[in-house]
Amino acid sequence: MDHDNILVLDGIAKQFGDIVALEHVDLSVRRGEVHVVCGENGAGKSTLMNILVGIHAPDGGKITFNGKETTIRDPLAAGDMGIGMVHQHFTLVPSMSVAENLFLGHHLRRFGIFSDRRAMVERAGTLIDTYSFALDPEAIVSTLSVGQRQRVEILKALVFDAELLILDEPTAVLTPPEVEELLKVITNLRDRGRTVLFITHKLREVKAVSDRVTILRRGKNISTHITKIVTENDIARDMVGRDVFLMGRQGQGVRTFGNNVLQLENVSITNSDGRLLLDGINLDVRAGEVLGVAGVDGNGQTELAEAIAGLIPIQAGTIRLDGADINNASVAERQEAGLGFVPEDRLDRGLSRNMSIAENMAATNYLRAGILWRGFVDKGRLAEFTQKGIEQFDIRGAKPGLAVGSLSGGNMQKVVLAREFARDPKVLLVSQPTRGLDIGASEFVYSEVLSAADKGNGILLISSELSEIFALADRIAVIYSGRIMQILTREDADEETVGILMNGGKEQAA
Amino acid sequence: MINTNFKESLHALIAPLGAIALTMALGFLLVAAISDEPVLAYRELLFANFDSLSNFALFLNRATPLVLISVGITFAFRAGVFNVGGEGQLFAGAIATTAVGIAFAGLPAIILFPLAVITGIAAGAAVGWVPGILKVKLGVDEVVVTLMLNTIVLLFTSYLVNQVIRDTTAYGAVSWKLPEHIWLPTIPGIPGATSGFMIAVVLSLVSWVVLFRTQWGTEVRSAGTNLRYAEAVGIAAGRRVITAMLIAGGFAGLAGALYVLGIGHRFEQNFSPEYGLIALTCALLARVNPAASLFTALYYALMLNGAAYMQISTEVPRSLVILLTGLLVLLMTARLTRKGSNNQTFDAF
Repeated sequence: MDHDNILVLDGIAKQFGDIVALEHVDLSVRRGEVHVVCGENGAGKSTLMNILVGIHAPDGGKITFNGKETTIRDPLAAGDMGIGMVHQHFTLVPSMSVAENLFLGHHLRRFGIFSDRRAMVERAGTLIDTYSFALDPEAIVSTLSVGQRQRVEILKALVFDAELLILDEPTAVLTPPEVEELLKVITNLRDRGRTVLFITHKLREVKAVSDRVTILRRGKNISTHITKIVTENDIARDMVGRDVFLMGRQGQGVRTFGNNVLQLENVSITNSDGRLLLDGINLDVRAGEVLGVAGVDGNGQTELAEAIAGLIPIQAGTIRLDGADINNASVAERQEAGLGFVPEDRLDRGLSRNMSIAENMAATNYLRAGILWRGFVDKGRLAEFTQKGIEQFDIRGAKPGLAVGSLSGGNMQKVVLAREFARDPKVLLVSQPTRGLDIGASEFVYSEVLSAADKGNGILLISSELSEIFALADRIAVIYSGRIMQILTREDADEETVGILMNGGKEQAA
Repeated sequence: MINTNFKESLHALIAPLGAIALTMALGFLLVAAISDEPVLAYRELLFANFDSLSNFALFLNRATPLVLISVGITFAFRAGVFNVGGEGQLFAGAIATTAVGIAFAGLPAIILFPLAVITGIAAGAAVGWVPGILKVKLGVDEVVVTLMLNTIVLLFTSYLVNQVIRDTTAYGAVSWKLPEHIWLPTIPGIPGATSGFMIAVVLSLVSWVVLFRTQWGTEVRSAGTNLRYAEAVGIAAGRRVITAMLIAGGFAGLAGALYVLGIGHRFEQNFSPEYGLIALTCALLARVNPAASLFTALYYALMLNGAAYMQISTEVPRSLVILLTGLLVLLMTARLTRKGSNNQTFDAF
C-alpha cells in the first residue's frame, strides 16, 4: 500500500427488508485528506455513514480503521475509536452554552463529582482558538446562527480527538456566505492533520473543498477521482449514470414574448420596526418569459414572493396580474385569477407532511379538477387526479393515500410542482425550486419550468443559485437589500457582473 | 384497491384491540393479587353493565356526554388546537340550558326545547371561541386559556346553582327541576336510557364525513397540520381554526344540554366525573377520529360503571379503573417496532 489509509471499506453491503441500500462499496480514505462521497439522493451515502458511526451494522464486508479490522458496535464505540460525525440535523441543547454542549455527557469533573465549569470553558476556548472558529464558549446556543451552531457541532466531534470527521450534507442548512465559511473551516481542519469525509451532492462544493471524490450510485461505488483533474460534468455523469443537461436553453435563438402578465409598480414593504424590506420594486413578467431574480438569501426574496402570493400586505405600490390590480385580493382569489406559487421551503409553506399526497396535490385544485361535488370530496376523482400527477411528474414511490412526508425531498418538490402546474397558471411564481434536490430531480424541474414558459406562462423565478438563474432566465433582475439593482437581458449578463450586483454593486471585499 | 383499503383498516383495528386485550389481561393479574374472587370481580367489571336493562341504560347515559365531547375535541385537535376545555364548555352548556328551561318554563315544548338546546350549544361554543380567537389573533397558548376557563366556568356555575337557581327543597347544590314537558324522551324499549345517545351516535358518524370527506374538513385539517401551508394554498386558515373551536365548544355545550334535558333533568354541581378530561383521553385513544371515539367513549363508560358494580360485589376498589385506563393509554401510545425495520409511521397530528 502506497498511502497511509486511515479507513478502508471492503465490500460493504446493507439491506433494509427488500430494499438494498448498499450493494457493494469499497472506499479508502487517506490520512489527512478531504474526501468527498457524493451521489444522488438514495444512492446510499447516509446509510454508509451511519454504518461508519455504528448506527447500522453492515450485512457484509470489512471495515479497517487505522490498519486494524474492526466492527463498530454503536456510536459510542465509534467515538472512542476516533470517528466523529456531524449530523445534518443538529444535536445541540439550545438552552445550554457552547462549552456545556461540547462536554455534554462527558463533563469535566472536580473531585470526580462536581462539574468543573471553568475548566470546560477554558478547554472550549483553547479549542475554538486552535481552529479559529470565532465563537464565544459561554454563548447560549439558541442565540447562535445556523452556521455558528454547525461549528459547535464540529467542535463537539473534535473535543474528544476525532481523527476522522464525517460531515453529512453540512451545507444543506446554510446560506451561501455560511457555506464559504464552512469550506474554509474544512480546509483548516485538513491543514491541522484531521481527515475529513464530506458527504454532498453539490458539485461546486466537491470542486471547492476536496482532494479526492468517490461517487456512489445505487449502493455501489462507481468511481474515485482526484478532484483536481476531474470535471464537474464527469462527476455528474457518474452520479446520474448518463449525460446530464443542466444547461437550460442556451443557444436557442431569439424568443418572442406576449403581454405583461405580472407587473409590480413601486412595491414597498416595511416591517414592524419601520425597516424597509422591499424598497420600490418595479418588475414585469411577460407571457412566455422567465424572469430570474438573483440575489443572496435574505435580501427581500421571501417578502417579494409572499407579497405577490398575497400572504403579506404591501405598504405601497401596485401588483397587477394580467392587467388587473390584485392588491386587495386574497391568496385564493389570486390563485383563481391565474397565479401559481411554488414556495421556497416545501416543508414550511409548500406541503403538509402528515397529510396524504392526494390531499396535498389537490389543495389548490379541488374546484377546477372537478374533485368536489357540493362540498363533498369525490374520492375516486381525487385518486384519479393524483395518479395523473404522479405519472406526469414521475413521482417515485408515491401512492395517493401515502403521507407526503414519506417521500424524498425531490419527490416532495414534484408534488408541489404537480399541484401548481396542474392549474396551468398564467403567472408562475417559483422560489428556490431545486433547493436540496439532486441533479436528476433538478434537471426535471428545469425542463418543467422551461416547457411551462414555452406554453406561454409567465414565470418569475427567484433563486440564490446563479447557475440556475443562468440556465433558465430570459432576463435577470438582481435584488440586493430589498431593491432591484438592475435588470439585465440574458445576452448582456455574465456571472461576474451579476455577482457584483448581488453584493450591492461593489467589488467583493478581499 | 378495495382489498388494500380493507387490509389497512383491519390493521388499524388490530393495534387498539390488542392493547385492550393486553390491558385486561394485566388488570386481571392485579385483581387476582388483591382479591379472593378475581373472576367475579372481573365479571362485574365487564358484564354487570348488561345484567339488566336499567344497568344498560345507565351505561348508555354515561357514554352520551363522553361521545359528544370527544367528537367535539376531535374537531379542535384536527385544527391544531389542544383543547383541554371540554369540562368548562360542558358546564357552560348545562347551566345555560337549565337557566333557559327554568326561566321560560311556561313556553310550549316546541319553542322551549329548541331554545334550551340552542342556548346550551351557544354557551359551550362561546367558551370555545375565546381560546380560538386568542390563539389566532394574538398567539396565546390555548392550553393555558382552556384550563383557566374551566375553573372560571366551574366556579361561576357553582355560584349560580348555589345562589340563584338553587332548589331550596332539595339536599345539595342542585337547581330547580326543568319542566317535564321538555325532558328528552328515553330510547324506546330501554327505560331510563336517554335518546341523546342516538343523537351522539349520528353526530359522530356525520362528523367523520365532515372531517374526512368534505372540502371544509380538508381545510380544517390542513390548517391544523401546517398553518403556513394552509395559508399558502389559499385557505382562510385562521377562520377555520376559530370555527373548529366553535364546533368543539358547541359539541361540549350540547353534551351539557342533553345531560340536563335527558338524564339529570336539573343542573347538579357535581354531575360530571370530569367528563371533559375523560373525553380528551377518548379522543386521543381514538387517534383523533370521530367515528372511532364513539367506541373509545363506550369503552370508558363501560369501565366507569363496571367499576362501581365491582366495588359493590367484591373487595376490589373502583379506583382500579384509573389504573387500568392509565395502562391502556400507555399501551396504546407505545408502538412496538421490530429492531432494524425503518417503517414510516403516520402520525395523526
